[in-house]
Amino acid sequence: MRLATLQDVMFGYDDVPCLEDANVEINSGEFIAVTGPNGAAKSTLLKLTLGLLQPWRGKAELSSHNKDGNKLAIGYVPQQIASFNGGFPSNVQEFVLSGRYGAGSWWRRMGRKDLEAVERALLHTDTLNLRNRKIGELSGGQKQRICLARALAMSPDLYVLDEPTTGMDQESRERFYDLMRNEVRAMGKTVVMVTHNLTEVERDLDRVVTLVRKEESGWKCCTTTSCSGHFVPAG
Amino acid sequence: MEMLHYDFMQRAFCAGGLIALLASALGVYLLLRRQALMADMLSHVSLAGIAGGAYFQVNPTMTGFLVAVCGAVVVEYLRRAYRTYSEISVAIIMVGGLSLSVILMSLNKSINISFSSYLFGSVVAVNRTELIIMLATAVIGALFFYFLRRPLYLISFDEETARTNGIPVPWISLGFSILTGMIVAAAMPIVGVLLVSSLIVLPASLAIRISPSFSAAIFISMGIGLLGVFTGLTASYELSTPPGGTIAFVLLTFLVIGITVKKTIHKLGAKARMTAKQAEMPVTRHRATRAEEWSNP
Repeated sequence: MRLATLQDVMFGYDDVPCLEDANVEINSGEFIAVTGPNGAAKSTLLKLTLGLLQPWRGKAELSSHNKDGNKLAIGYVPQQIASFNGGFPSNVQEFVLSGRYGAGSWWRRMGRKDLEAVERALLHTDTLNLRNRKIGELSGGQKQRICLARALAMSPDLYVLDEPTTGMDQESRERFYDLMRNEVRAMGKTVVMVTHNLTEVERDLDRVVTLVRKEESGWKCCTTTSCSGHFVPAG
Repeated sequence: MEMLHYDFMQRAFCAGGLIALLASALGVYLLLRRQALMADMLSHVSLAGIAGGAYFQVNPTMTGFLVAVCGAVVVEYLRRAYRTYSEISVAIIMVGGLSLSVILMSLNKSINISFSSYLFGSVVAVNRTELIIMLATAVIGALFFYFLRRPLYLISFDEETARTNGIPVPWISLGFSILTGMIVAAAMPIVGVLLVSSLIVLPASLAIRISPSFSAAIFISMGIGLLGVFTGLTASYELSTPPGGTIAFVLLTFLVIGITVKKTIHKLGAKARMTAKQAEMPVTRHRATRAEEWSNP
């Protein structure tokens, strides 16, 4: 089932285009990496896919339902440096539990199921010992892990992760890749992830979306079916 | 407690208590959304409404209230237009509100004296109509904060993530802005235009620094706000000072004391940890010396 489509999308900031001819399809159960040099509009591509930005030209569609016909749940982890609100007076437990707020009613009582999901997410991201710490006191890598824990607690159909391993050590990165592989292969979830460490994750990927510099101006979006071969522009 | 025998003081305490609880809770969200100046801006806009009401001989309380709400809606739309520099929208509307109120006040010189109670607050200024407005605002605000506490948490942390979670961010944000306008307008008779933001910003500033969690920050802020308003009103009555300035000064004192105490505790904790480390160090040094002796006989 197709979850998201970008078709001939063009987008830019302040009248300057930064992304052109972007054609991307995201299907249910895929593990996709988005890669490219700094400033290649990778985060912009994710935001266009999620409907957070509207394209200047072309079509951006996001399914409202998952393959079972339920409302599509999205676990979005934005780029940490740009978005993490360090002064937020929340502790880790509260923060990760907020991943459950989108699931069901806004004012329903948080039950055992929710607390178990939080516990599991903290355990998977190795942050159980941080649960009572304030989020502003954490290191960069720890902040990144609790953001992932929040997405995990949500148990989404689609993970959209913008450089999720920033600030993580080698061991944490490996644990994270194992976790995502399990989510895709065993749980049937979909993962779209911006990464600069393609070699660490390439064996698990179904597809790579590479943003390459277009000769005239801006950046162009190209896709490959396998990351082991040369990157071939789509269409 | 002699002061509570007076009707106007009873009204001031009721109104002050309600507004303190509401404004302090609002302050936490405003600070976290980096909209601390919004209360200041809306109070200036509201003053234009009051001046307009006085000029056109319509109930100034009602016009001030309506203009504050309209100003909140405009600022919300401007905030979306100037997403990166949202404080620009605050500056634009503040200038507009203040200039308009100055013009309207100068056109109607005969009523200038009563404006001082709007500027600095007055316990006797709280009439029955204003108390009803405050009560209605308090009920709406309490329902808003209770039922939307989870979406507000997500929006305050990061609007984009909240949107991907299916939260209707533009609508809730608009509702939040309207409520801010209502609370600011309702709080003005007590603390006045110039100091209304103190009631919103100061308790929240302290609460955010000392609370262990988000929900605790809301309750701590409400507690500080309530204590500050009651202390300020009492001091204002005893010393015959304007309530706005007295309440703001009390809250500022709380903030300074709170931050000093927190820093002292932090320093003492760090010192205790350092002492504990130093107590361990001689053993380590001794062992190192012994090890050196073994390696270099």
